[in-house]
Formats: sequence, C-alpha cells, structure tokens
Amino acid sequence: MPNLDTGAAVAAPTDARIHALDHLRALAMLAGVLFHAALAYSPLMHAFWPTAYRASSPWVDALAWLLHLVRMPLFFLVAGYFTTWLIERRGMTGLMQHRVRRILVPFLLAWPLVHVAMSAATRQAAHTVQNPSPFLSMLREWLALPDSPWMPPGTGHLWFLYYLLLFTALVWIARTLGWSGLFIRLLRLGAARVALLLPLLVLPGFLLTTTPHPAPESLLPQFWAVALYGPFFALGAALHGRLDTLQRLRRWLWPMLATCLLLYLAFLFQLSRFGNEDWMRHAPWSTALLQACIAGWGTLAILVAGLRWLARPNAWLAYLSRSAYWTYLLHLPVLFAVQYALLDVALAWPIAFLVASGITLAVCLLSYELLVRRTRLRHWVG
Amino acid sequence: MNRELNWPTIRLLIVKDWQLFQKQLAAYLLAAFVALAFLGLAKPWAFYIGSLLLIIILVAVACFAISTSLLTERKEQTLAFVMSLPVSPLDFTVAKLVGNLATFLVPFVIIGLCTALVIFSTPLPNGLMVLTTLVFAHILLAYCVSLAVAMRIESEGWNTFVMIASMVMINPFLMAIGQLHGVSGVARGDAITWSGPVLAILSAQLVLSLSCLAFAAWWNGRKPAFY
Repeated sequence: MPNLDTGAAVAAPTDARIHALDHLRALAMLAGVLFHAALAYSPLMHAFWPTAYRASSPWVDALAWLLHLVRMPLFFLVAGYFTTWLIERRGMTGLMQHRVRRILVPFLLAWPLVHVAMSAATRQAAHTVQNPSPFLSMLREWLALPDSPWMPPGTGHLWFLYYLLLFTALVWIARTLGWSGLFIRLLRLGAARVALLLPLLVLPGFLLTTTPHPAPESLLPQFWAVALYGPFFALGAALHGRLDTLQRLRRWLWPMLATCLLLYLAFLFQLSRFGNEDWMRHAPWSTALLQACIAGWGTLAILVAGLRWLARPNAWLAYLSRSAYWTYLLHLPVLFAVQYALLDVALAWPIAFLVASGITLAVCLLSYELLVRRTRLRHWVG
Repeated sequence: MNRELNWPTIRLLIVKDWQLFQKQLAAYLLAAFVALAFLGLAKPWAFYIGSLLLIIILVAVACFAISTSLLTERKEQTLAFVMSLPVSPLDFTVAKLVGNLATFLVPFVIIGLCTALVIFSTPLPNGLMVLTTLVFAHILLAYCVSLAVAMRIESEGWNTFVMIASMVMINPFLMAIGQLHGVSGVARGDAITWSGPVLAILSAQLVLSLSCLAFAAWWNGRKPAFY
C-alpha cells in the first residue's frame, strides 16, 4: 500500500516505530500487487475476474483470501496512525493541504487514466484473445449487442484513495464535534480488551456485505466499507503516541497467529460449502464473525510483529516504501495487460503468476525510477 | 456619511460567523455522508430515506444558518458588542450577508454536487437532474426570503413563521411541477432537457432570490444607525 499518508514527503521517519510502520506499509503494498496477480489463478474468482487463467489452484484461494482479510485493515490502521502524526506536526489545515496534494489531485488525475487504460485493454482482449476468461466471453457477447449494457463508473482499485479522503473528512468531523477521544478511551481499557473488542467493532462491516468482501468501488460511500475499515483507521489514529499499549500483546503474538490460522481453516471450510446463490447474499453470522476475528487479530498480530522485527532501517524496504504509491497506482493496468497477453500462452499457474507479477513490478519500479524518483512527480506520488 | 467599507473588520466578522458555524457544518457533512451511503445501498427504501435526508439537511442548513448568525445573535445581545467595533451599519450588513451566504452556500454546493454524483453515477435516469435543480432552486429561494426577512424584521415569531412557511412550500411546489411534462416526463428518461416552462421557473426563482438579497442589502445598508 502506498506511502501517500505517511508524511514521507514531509520528513524522513525519525524513530524506529515509524520505520516499522513504513516497512509494514511497503509489505502490504507488495501483498496488494501479489493478491491482484493471484486472483487470475483463483478457482473462486474464475467466473468473475477478467484475467482468469485456464489453470488455477485451490492453494491460491487458501493464501489469497487470508491476505485479503488483513492487508487493507492493516493499511487503514497505518493510515490512521500517520493521520494523527500529520495533525500533530502540521495541524488540521496542514493535513487537509497534504491530503489535497497527495491524495485528491493524484486520485483525480489517475482515475480517468487508469479507467481508460483498463477499459481499452479489456475491450482489446475481448476482441483478440483466443482463450478468453468467462468474464471476457461474457463481455464479448455484450459488446456484440446493438445496445450493450452500461456499467456505472466506479473508482476501481483506487477506491482506497476515495476512502482515505472520506476518513480524513470524518477525522475533521470527529474533532470538530469533540468525538475524537472515543478510541483513545477504548485504548485505556488495555491491549487485551481492545483485541477482544476489535472483531466486534468490525463485525457489522462483514455482516453488511458478501463473502469474500469485494472492493467498495462505487462512487457513493458504502456503509459496510466504512464499518469495516473505519474502526481500523480510528484505532490507528488513537494509537499514535500510544503504541506502548500494544506491548502487552507481544506475548500473545504466536497464540494470536495460531488462532487466526485455525479460524481461517474454518472460514475456508465454510467457503467450500457455499452454493451458487450464496455468493450474492450477505455473509451469514458465523462467516462474518470468523472474518471479523481473523481481520482484527491478524492485523494486530502483524502490527505487533512489525513493531518487533521491522523497526530497524532497511534500504530495500525503504525503497519499496517510497515507490509504493506509484507502484500501487500503476500496477493494475500493467498487470491486466500482461495477464491478457498470457491468456493464450499455456503455462503452469505458478509460472504464469511469477511472470505476471514479476513483469508488473519491474515496469512499476522502472517507471518510478525514470518518471518519479528524481522528478517533481515525487512530491505528489513519490 | 462615510460610505467606504471597513473590509478588515468585515472579514473578521465573516470569519467569526464561519468559526461559529464549524460544528453545524461538521454535523451536516456527517448527515450527508449517511444520506449518500443510504443511496449507495441501491434499494428503493434506501433511496427514499437517502433523498429525504438530503432535503432535511438542506432545510436545516438554510434555517440554522439564519438562526445562528442573526436571531440568536440578537437574543444574546452580540450586536451591542459589534457596535463597539469601528463598523458602520453598512459594514455590518455586508458582513452578515456574506457570512450567512458562505455558511449556507458551502454545504448547499457540496450537497448539490453529491446529488449530481448520485444521479450520474448510478442507474437513476439522468433526467432527474431537471427536477433536482428546481428543488434546489426552491430551497435557495426559500433561504433568500428567510434571510431578507430576518435582516429586516426583528420579531422571532415572524422569522420562524417565514422560515417554516417558505420551506414547507416545497410540497405544493413539488406537486405543481410534477404536473409539468417538461419535469415529470423528462425525469423518467436519460436525456436532460430544459424546456421553456422549466427555464422560466428557474429564472424566476433565481431573479427572486437575487432580488431578496439585493433588497436586504439595500434596506439595511441605507440605515444611518444600527437602530
């Protein structure tokens, strides 16, 4: 996930904890690229994903959905932390100026470009690919209709920018109405109680949407996305200056990870029993609760692990962190173009996955070096 | 009489009104998010709740903007303090008009843009923009009438009556424009057509709104003293 809100453009990280959070964000970014690349080989997504490949494996689902349950909650938690960090250094006006320059402007510029690039690549693939995915086959039929159906515009994979803007506005609202201390009071209950309460706080988010949860790409705010990611963002915002609160969770790190894995196995078992119509319904209570526990405890466990093992400066992770924003903005159109081209090439799925994600990361990092790192663009997306 | 405006003090008075308005603005924005999220559920009942909530917010913005900066100020005797500042009645009038318009128009424009976003980004017929524009123009007119009355008349009872009456008029207004084919017919389709009667109503609403503001400015501005 990008470093758009760490304030990395403001000042270099000054303490070990910010290094840890920067590194976590870099790894979460990488996880995002790999997750999107992996969906082409997921049996679960085969019918819906535009670049679904002819070869797939249940192992992809087993790993990808675990990643899906923790990477965005972790991103929003880190984003919340750095939002408070920015407010303390620059004030609310400074935060707003930062958000306009680093989020609103890149979003408004990247959104149409990404939309046009992905639409063009998908239409081209629908016309030319010999072994189309089920989605491309359907699109081919749609495009052949005299009055082809119209898809409402969405934010695509840039939805996280939209929600960061939304959460920034909610931060201002909470501070103006005097509600900003709610999560700080929650932290005073102690780390163990926060860990127990967190799944309950995010449970409504999972209950209000389908399983696995989709990307909230609509231009209108979605209740479930605010209910799911909002508590993580608020917790991150409250944790600024209070990371010591999590120290007590260190001894629970391995039990938390083990519990998450066990719960995840139960979640996969439930997914395997889903019927065709279950994909369109809201999650049942038991599935939503499992997801809430995995997302809540998994995110806290990764945060504690990051604070323990990623707190030292690391040149590679620092580079990934700096290039993360650009990489994340660019990766999906590049990935789709590569994966569309691979649809007509018969490869084992792990090879296709490595080729697609390798080329995508190479293009993103090379373009970062050439177009962003040493140019003025770095102030916006570097 | 010196008719030169004291802009630095006028600016301070506007900023004062704006700062007092922050909490209300935050509450309106929060309510607008909730309304948009209801609309985002894409269900008929949620659409009804969301659009109703947006209209309630607009009416609340219009009424509370006037109530906070004019009526409450009178009750709390803030005018006596303002009179101690180096401002003329004209300065005070300009500050009140601009401050009030800012506190109303900022949420009004935000909600208007959000509504347009809803119409254009969802399967709702784009023709709804015509009806929506007329409704927004009605609320603008009701606000301008209420503001002009609040600046002219000090009676709290009359002000409350005018605010409620002008806003409640949205019901017969909706019924009346619903009879026009240029509104009801267009609202079901995707083409946005501004027919002659629609443009005439819109023009009348805008001219009346501006006239109310001009009258309020002229009436208060020509006063030689605060009382």
